[in-house]
Amino acid sequence: MTVETVAERPARTRGALGRAAASPLARLVARRVLIAIPLLLAISVLVFALLEAMPGDPARNQAGMDASEEEVAALRAQMGLDRPAVERYLGWLLGALGGDLGRSSVSGQTVSSMLAERMPVTLEIVLLAFIVSLAVALPVALMAARKPGGLFDRAVMVSSMTLLAIPNYVLALLLVLVFAVLLRSLPAIGYVPLADGLLPNLRSVTLPVLALSIPLACFYARFLRGDLVEQINTADYVETARAKGLGPWRVLWVHAFRNSSFGLLTLVGLNIGVLVGGTVIIEQIFAMPGMGTMMLQGAMSRDVAVVQACVFIFAAVAVFANLFVDVMYAVLDPRIRYGSH
Amino acid sequence: MNITASRPRRSGRRAGALAATLALMLGAAACTSPGASGAGSTGGGDPQSGGAITVLLDAGFSGGWPTGLDPATSSSVGANMGQNSAIFGGLFRIEAAEDGSDAEVVPDQAESYEYSEDGLTLTVTLREGIEFSDGTPLDARAVLWNWIRALSSGSVSAPRLSLDLERETPELEQAFLDELFAALPEDVDRDLVMQRLGAIVAVDDRTLEIHLAAVNGALVNSLPGTNMNFIASPTAYAELGAEEFAEKPVAAGPFVVVKNSLSDRLELERNPNYFKEGQPYLDGLTFQSVAGDQVAYQTLQSGQGDAIEGLSSVTLIGQAQGNPDVTVTPGAPTSPYVVQLNTRKPPFDDRRAREAIYYATDFGAINEGLFNGEGDMSQSFTASGGLFWEPEVAGYREYDPEKAAELVDELGGLTVELGTTDIVTARSVTTALQQQWGEAGIDVAIEAKPLGDVITKFTSGDWESMLQTAGAWEPAAGIGVDVRFGSTSPYSGTPLPEGASTSADALERGLRTELDDVLASAVATIDQDERRVRYQEAAKIISDEAYGPFGMAFSPAQVARAGVHGPGLTTPIPALAVNTAVLYDEVWVEQ
Repeated sequence: MTVETVAERPARTRGALGRAAASPLARLVARRVLIAIPLLLAISVLVFALLEAMPGDPARNQAGMDASEEEVAALRAQMGLDRPAVERYLGWLLGALGGDLGRSSVSGQTVSSMLAERMPVTLEIVLLAFIVSLAVALPVALMAARKPGGLFDRAVMVSSMTLLAIPNYVLALLLVLVFAVLLRSLPAIGYVPLADGLLPNLRSVTLPVLALSIPLACFYARFLRGDLVEQINTADYVETARAKGLGPWRVLWVHAFRNSSFGLLTLVGLNIGVLVGGTVIIEQIFAMPGMGTMMLQGAMSRDVAVVQACVFIFAAVAVFANLFVDVMYAVLDPRIRYGSH
Repeated sequence: MNITASRPRRSGRRAGALAATLALMLGAAACTSPGASGAGSTGGGDPQSGGAITVLLDAGFSGGWPTGLDPATSSSVGANMGQNSAIFGGLFRIEAAEDGSDAEVVPDQAESYEYSEDGLTLTVTLREGIEFSDGTPLDARAVLWNWIRALSSGSVSAPRLSLDLERETPELEQAFLDELFAALPEDVDRDLVMQRLGAIVAVDDRTLEIHLAAVNGALVNSLPGTNMNFIASPTAYAELGAEEFAEKPVAAGPFVVVKNSLSDRLELERNPNYFKEGQPYLDGLTFQSVAGDQVAYQTLQSGQGDAIEGLSSVTLIGQAQGNPDVTVTPGAPTSPYVVQLNTRKPPFDDRRAREAIYYATDFGAINEGLFNGEGDMSQSFTASGGLFWEPEVAGYREYDPEKAAELVDELGGLTVELGTTDIVTARSVTTALQQQWGEAGIDVAIEAKPLGDVITKFTSGDWESMLQTAGAWEPAAGIGVDVRFGSTSPYSGTPLPEGASTSADALERGLRTELDDVLASAVATIDQDERRVRYQEAAKIISDEAYGPFGMAFSPAQVARAGVHGPGLTTPIPALAVNTAVLYDEVWVEQ
């Protein structure tokens, strides 16, 4: 047995790190992370500038119509609006880098504590919506692609197009009408935390998750079905697989799907931002105390710290989701890792 | 002679009678619509104890309480009347007859009030033996602590009191002062606080005096809509600290806070210490914020809500009236729409242009088309549910498109920018106005903006005409007639006083217009009949000078599931500002 001395360990670690640093995958990740940082910084500047450029006075807005100029001026000072914009932005940025996202100018609560309370709600909805949409889209697309033009395929194409044409908020209201008003089987609004029981929690999130995942599932199913059909009809490797005597399901699942999954992966990455953004409306409709509602309330009251933090997190999720997709690409396809594609 | 009142003197009998007639007509109209049930009547027999209800509130208005529920620091006291009256009760409250008429402010936690003969001192006597839910007494000391906080903590919901700050501050216990200053902002003007403590005095355990620098005949009427009405426990504040207190205030109202998620959900349960025997009837009361009327109505239909405070969508109100499972109670209308015209810049610095707008405007047709005729028409700044309502003003210019067209020709054309707040109903009204005015040859550009931007537009003075709602139950309170038509208000388009270059200049030099004087005199007396005469004069000046045509007042409706009853919910009570004050201690559900 080799006895590893304490002195040896750092060297070995360095060696491993060094090897990792040298690997194309690690370089790819490092490069993308380096790109993500200025991107997020630019987003934060843009959001701040947009909030600044919005017409109207947040202090006056908050103070109401019958407040005097002195009261508004005092509120403006209290909200820090009497300081130059650059100073306020830099103050926010420095705080954010140190983990301090500031305080809500409306409620006085720290933005971090507000996020800690609300982020789990949004995360749960988004994650479940993501899982449900893929869980529905994959089998549906595979079954539809097995017999293109068949009854099932046509039913999928028509119904998915119809559902895609319905705006998100209308779909949400329709779901409430059917499941809450007519059937009375699910709650129309409200969120039950997981701590209050798994079943009540799942019941409370079912409709918001459906409202978010149905359009997404339709979108994924249509895309994947189209890609699979194209692969089956045109790709040489499919012909080869068939020539080997493989059954249609095996050709579809093992060969065509593996290639189509690249396109789907890209789509999923791109759609994570859309999914997170969709929570703003959906959380509002279902009275879910999540980040979407928090951001909307912040925007309505021009609560810069709140909006800035929410938009920044939403943007970060979108950026890192895309980074994850890029990495997955590289993991699945070595040509990308080595920069040959 | 002192005027003593356990209730203020009744006024406006003629208006009351007319209001009653109109409310009955509205009620009758509601009853003739298919399936309408219970409108305008509590019904259901004797109140029963027990049960709980969930009240749905619009997230964009009363469903938002982002700064918490400490009245001294909350920025939304007026919007959150339901939550506040449920937690705090109130020194005063507004009550009305079953049809919404004869509304008046009456003492509640206060036992009575009295004006001195010169009208400069208001004495408030508290009921004996009221305790906060933490067991400490709601006495004059506690009220004084609350009133000074209400006036000194920066809340925009504080009343504008012209206190007599010249009075000597009485000797006060150091412990009280320490407790008070510990609950005030660090940068508070201590000298001003001490001056206020000279003007507001706790005479004994149950009596307080407010010494005014000028007579304010609207003071008591205004109080229930301000933060001074809501009295919290100073002991609880000291124990909980500012942040926790704002989340879970401790008071002497019918309910106590169990759980509060800001601008989301507020759960309350019966206060066993409530001073009214057998009340509240409900064991529990929850306020749930929802995204707008459609969601609120669907949630009610799903059984997750029991009542909606302030449903304003005309379509949904119509649907609800056809639903046998709910009662729909139209609000007592107080605030008519008005097109404010800015006389300080072209084109409305020319009286002919203003007259053309009056003649080109047919609010009656808009009322029929957009509000199913259920809006309450007015020619001045309150509607039938408000104080000092004048249904008709002598010489008021009514719809006459030919006259409008003649005036437009005389002016060589008229191009107008019409601003409004970007909400669906207001946009619909401006679109209708655009069409009506267009028929008289007036070219109209609509500019709908969020409220904050509308406020900015007003304060910049760079506007031509604005569609807004005017008035309130008490014209001198809230966004009342002074705010819309007083020359020095930032939201007014009436002419500046002669010789004044700006509002600030007018204020500094004490310059006033005739209308300013009349409006000031309407507040400077406690004689309500005298006030009525003054407001009639003000309405006449506004009409004669064509400062802005008035239209229909349309109040949101209260919708409750069958079996829920209560004043303000299944009978109308005029809104002090915007919201009807539901008397939640009297709300009950059939068991």
